[in-house]
Amino acid sequence: MKPANWSRYLIISGICLLVIVGIIVQMVRIQNLPGSEIILAQSESLSGTTQIIYPDRGKIYDRWGHLLAGDETTYEIGIDLNQVSDPETIATVCASVLGLDYSTVLGYARTKAGDNGQYYIVLDNFVDSEKVEQLSILQTQYAEMPVKRHVVNPSLSGLMWSPYTKRSYPEGSLASNVIGFYGFLDRIDGRGFFGVEETYNDLLAGTPQTVYVAYDPQRVKANMDLPEGASLVLTIDREIQSMAENTLEEAIDWSGAEAGTILVYNPEDGSLLAMATTPRLDPNEYWNYGEVFPNPTPFNRAISKSYEPGSVFKVITLAAALDAGAVTPETTFYDPGYIEVGGYYINNWDGSAWGTQDMTGCMQHSLNVCLSWIAQQLGADQFYEYVRAFGFDRNTGIDLSGEIHWPIRVPGDEQWYEVDLATNSFGQGIAVTPLQMVMAVGALANEGKMMLPHVVKSMVIDGHQYEINPVVVGTPIKAETASTITELLANSLENESSNALVEGYRVAGKTGTAEIPTQYGYSSSQTHTSFVGWGPVDDPKFLVYVWLEKPEISIWGSEVAAPVFQDVVEKLVVLLGLPPDSVRRELVAE
Amino acid sequence: MADHAVQNFVLPKEYCKSRDKKEKMKKPKQLLQAYRQAPWRVQLQWLGFFLLGVVLVAAVAGVYLNLSARASSAGRAIQSLENKVDAYQREINDLSTRLAYISSSEQMYLRLKDTDLALLDPKQAIYIEVPGFISSPDIVLAPPAEVASVQTPVIKSQYTNSLWDWFVENIWFAYEKPSVDLTEVEE
Repeated sequence: MKPANWSRYLIISGICLLVIVGIIVQMVRIQNLPGSEIILAQSESLSGTTQIIYPDRGKIYDRWGHLLAGDETTYEIGIDLNQVSDPETIATVCASVLGLDYSTVLGYARTKAGDNGQYYIVLDNFVDSEKVEQLSILQTQYAEMPVKRHVVNPSLSGLMWSPYTKRSYPEGSLASNVIGFYGFLDRIDGRGFFGVEETYNDLLAGTPQTVYVAYDPQRVKANMDLPEGASLVLTIDREIQSMAENTLEEAIDWSGAEAGTILVYNPEDGSLLAMATTPRLDPNEYWNYGEVFPNPTPFNRAISKSYEPGSVFKVITLAAALDAGAVTPETTFYDPGYIEVGGYYINNWDGSAWGTQDMTGCMQHSLNVCLSWIAQQLGADQFYEYVRAFGFDRNTGIDLSGEIHWPIRVPGDEQWYEVDLATNSFGQGIAVTPLQMVMAVGALANEGKMMLPHVVKSMVIDGHQYEINPVVVGTPIKAETASTITELLANSLENESSNALVEGYRVAGKTGTAEIPTQYGYSSSQTHTSFVGWGPVDDPKFLVYVWLEKPEISIWGSEVAAPVFQDVVEKLVVLLGLPPDSVRRELVAE
Repeated sequence: MADHAVQNFVLPKEYCKSRDKKEKMKKPKQLLQAYRQAPWRVQLQWLGFFLLGVVLVAAVAGVYLNLSARASSAGRAIQSLENKVDAYQREINDLSTRLAYISSSEQMYLRLKDTDLALLDPKQAIYIEVPGFISSPDIVLAPPAEVASVQTPVIKSQYTNSLWDWFVENIWFAYEKPSVDLTEVEE
């Protein structure tokens, strides 16, 4: 039997069913509306947001772990317009603490939330922690002030600050030519410029991750562990770099040189212990780049400026000739004071005739005539073969951005003339970078093996440290040749009583004085003075290259660059903990 | 006579069928009525079932609320902890950078001047042999990349296998083991 009110139940159930069906139909309809995607996107935007998380940029250390480039916290100051209750106080505090313009801040603080779609206005960026601490104290003090009737308390409600990291270089301009700088002012697209900051930009930057950050606490997930960018350990020794930079500054002041470069290199593995050049930029204030490096000043002259090296190149010519057997150390040459090559006469640096000289004498007196003759004995084809083998026709491949090389002219080229063989033999008419010279001469100090110059010693990637192995890029000469020329150059320095000699340490080396080509020909009044030397002769541990451009005190490398080499090596041996030769031999003998 | 008349009275066939059917229907109804519970009991049962349903729904809702509340709380805790981690990381970075600045080459040189110390004159350096002294080792910021190595177990598997493991390994899959070429081993 049906209950008496069955029909009522049916009616109510029908209504409920209709409502449910209506709701379902409406849900399906809304889901399929043309604007449904917009509604969906709006709902998604209200439930969370997608953020790109940038990992901390990798740090840069010197070879002993001293931080050269790291991160520090800085703040963005802004106003949340929905929260502002006291614009005048915000403007007053921002003006006094942050040094912002009072009326500008007041104008921002009085902006109605939502006007022009604005809910948040950035007032300042890169504000340091101390200032934010002051703001924080003031905000707390105002918030804790007792509420009194008819008295409106000041408030910094709405004033916000959010932290982020910026690149910091604790050593200032030290080794900045090697490090480069990071354009941190651009918080989204910042990247490294010059040096290792540019070369290893992708590694240092790491891989950004896109994550969904839910506002709904139930959907919150822990962010995945984002490994920071790779950290780099440089081969640069901070103390040696500092010493080289200070010595260079002193040398420039003393000599009146326009600019300079000092390289300290380990010929055994190709690592650079110091790379000091001028000018230098404090990468913490990289926006001064234009002032520090007026066009066309290179950021790092050691790799980005080629020049005619002059007599330091003679070591390459003699090494090639000795290696090819064109001459021996005992070979003698009668120097009449000139030599005719391809219709041109080549003279010595002093224009005089030096008579009969062996190879040591030729190097000791830096005789252009003798070296031209040696190059002729070697022959043009072989000479340029050796020049190529020493790497002068290409970049060295150092892990620094901005390296250049000047193409060499060889027989067969339209612009090559017979006289070029002679001039090239003593370093004129051929342009090299200081680093090319260092790499090539390094072979003489390393048993003929030429190493790839590098400034990165190891990398820390994903929690593991990877050492960079030394790379042999060539063996332009035999080990015996390297030993012979090292001995020969050490003797020539000793015979000459060179300003480069270092008490207690036997070193080999060669001075260089190069005339500078101008549009009117070579200038004798302005020169490039240089010195390349290595030691200790029996077991070379360092190679030092000094280049001073256009010194005023003297035009000669022997008077300007050689004493600077001596100065550098005297300090270098202490920093390297390298005892004098006699002490070292005693220790080895024991 | 009357009895006889009654005895001799034969009911029509259709009537008898109908009566039998009613009789048959009457019996179950009687049974049903015999065991039917009192209406107040039925109502009480319905009320009980309803309340049980309500309690079940309330229990499920309670569990759900509890879980969702805990999930929310954990979510907030995660956010808070991540913010703390970020803050600590920034602090570490700040302190490292500050330490690097304080001990920077320039600052150390200024401190050296303040304390009336001077750089060593290389010519005055005295070198002595210190047995066992090792010059500064290379900086290690992280362990080197590990080379995958297979550890030799200290205890043989025969001592740790269960009977089942042994059976599976040595009987069941015995035929899958590669045979050892004795001649090759001998060589």
